[in-house]
Amino acid sequence: MKGRSFIFLVFLVFVCFSCRNSSNKNSKFVFPEADSIPVGEEEKLSTEAIEEIARNISSPVEIANLLQSLAVPFSPDYLASSIDANKQTTSFDKAFTLGILGADLGYLNMYEKTNSSIDILSSIRKLAEGIRVGQFFDFETIKRLSLNKSNLDSLLFLSIDSYTQIDKYLRENDRGQLSALMIIGVWIEGQFLATQVMTEYPDPVLRDRIGEQKIILNDLLMLANPYCNRDPEFGVLCKDLQDIKEKYREIRITYTLGEPVSREVNGALVVEQTETSVVEMTDEQLAGIIDITKTIRNKLIANN
Amino acid sequence: MKKHFIALLVLLSAGFILYGQTTDPLVSNCVMNAGPDSKYLKDFRIQLAKAPAAGELRYKTQMSFWKNTKYKFSLCTAEDSKGELILTIKNDANQVVLSSYNPKTGKTYKSLEFVCNRSGIYKLNYDFKDGQQGSGVGVISMVK
Repeated sequence: MKGRSFIFLVFLVFVCFSCRNSSNKNSKFVFPEADSIPVGEEEKLSTEAIEEIARNISSPVEIANLLQSLAVPFSPDYLASSIDANKQTTSFDKAFTLGILGADLGYLNMYEKTNSSIDILSSIRKLAEGIRVGQFFDFETIKRLSLNKSNLDSLLFLSIDSYTQIDKYLRENDRGQLSALMIIGVWIEGQFLATQVMTEYPDPVLRDRIGEQKIILNDLLMLANPYCNRDPEFGVLCKDLQDIKEKYREIRITYTLGEPVSREVNGALVVEQTETSVVEMTDEQLAGIIDITKTIRNKLIANN
Repeated sequence: MKKHFIALLVLLSAGFILYGQTTDPLVSNCVMNAGPDSKYLKDFRIQLAKAPAAGELRYKTQMSFWKNTKYKFSLCTAEDSKGELILTIKNDANQVVLSSYNPKTGKTYKSLEFVCNRSGIYKLNYDFKDGQQGSGVGVISMVK
C-alpha cells in the first residue's frame, strides 16, 4: 500500500510540473484549424525571412529610450488604455492588440512606471492565452519584477524574450498571420508614440526617426501581403499600411560616406560611425504622417 | 511513509529549481553582465560545429540600427567551446563597420560599442574564432 502511495505521489509531482508553462512543451498544444493557413498562402515569405523582418522593426524600447534621452516626460495619454482584453473576440483582434500592448509595456518599463504596467500585463496575459501562446509569457516573474522595481534589465529581457518566443512559435506553427499582426501592432503603437510626442515636443532627432521608418515600411508590407486577401479585417489593415506608405513616398533618405573610427576604452572596442543618413522631409509631409498614424491607430484600437 | 514524504519533498524541490531555470543561464548571465548603463534589446544564441574549412563567418542574421543611438554588443562563449565567439557587422553595401576580431593581431573583444550615425539594416555575422566548434550568446543592448 505504501509503495502504491509513493508511486501515486511521484506521479502527482510529475503531473503538476508537466502542467507548468514552458517553451519546451510546444508539441503538446493543438491549435484550432481556423488559425491555420493553407501552405500555399504563405509561400511568398519563408519563416527566416519573416524573422528577419521582425528584427528590422524598431523596438518600442528603442523609441522610449530615445524619448528619455530627449528628456520627454512620461505621459499615460499615449497609451492604448481604452483597450479591453475581454472584448477581443477574434484571433485577429487578439494578436493585433497583443502587439499594441507590447509596445505600451515597453514604454512603461523604460520609464519604470512598472506599477502601472500590472493592468497591461493582465490584459497581455488574457490575449496571449486567447491565442494559446500564454505558455511563453512568464507573467508571474514579470509581475514580480515590475512590482519590486528590482532589475530593469531582467524585466526588459523577460518581456522582450516572451514576445520573441511567441512570435517564433506562431511562425513555426503555420500561424504566421498572427505573428504578422503582432509585429504590425507593435510598429503602429511605436509610431503613434513617436508622432504624438513630436507634436508636443518637436525635436530634430525624433523627426528623423519618424522619417527613417521609410526604411522598414516595405518590409512591413511584405509581412502583411500574403494575408491581405485572407479576410476583410486583414484587407483593411493592408490598405491602412499602404496609405501610410503613400505618405512616405516623397521622403528621401540620403547618405554621406565615411570610414568608422575605432578606439579602445577600458578593454572594450568603441566604434563611431562617420557615415551618416540624412532625412529630407518637409513639415507638410511630417504633418501628413502624424495625422494618418493617429487616424489609423485610433481606428484600429476603437474597433477593438 | 516518512521516507516517502522526504522523497516527495526532494522531488518537489527539484521541480521548483528546474522550473525556475527556463532561461539559459549563459543568456541571462550575458544579459546581466552587459553593464548598468545598458538596456537589453535582443540576443542571438549560436551553436556551431567545427567548420570544414576557413571562410566567412557562418551564423548570419540582420537587425536595424538607428542614428543617434549607441549600441553595445556583448559576446559570451560557453565554457566547453573550442573557440571564442566573434562578430562582424556589415552595412547594406557589405562594408565592415565593426569587428570583434582582428585577424592581423589575433586580438578579440568580448564587448563592443557602436555609435550609429546611419540608420539602416545591418548584417550581423557570428562565428567562433578559426571556425572552431562552440556555443555562445551575442547580446545587443542600448547604452545611455
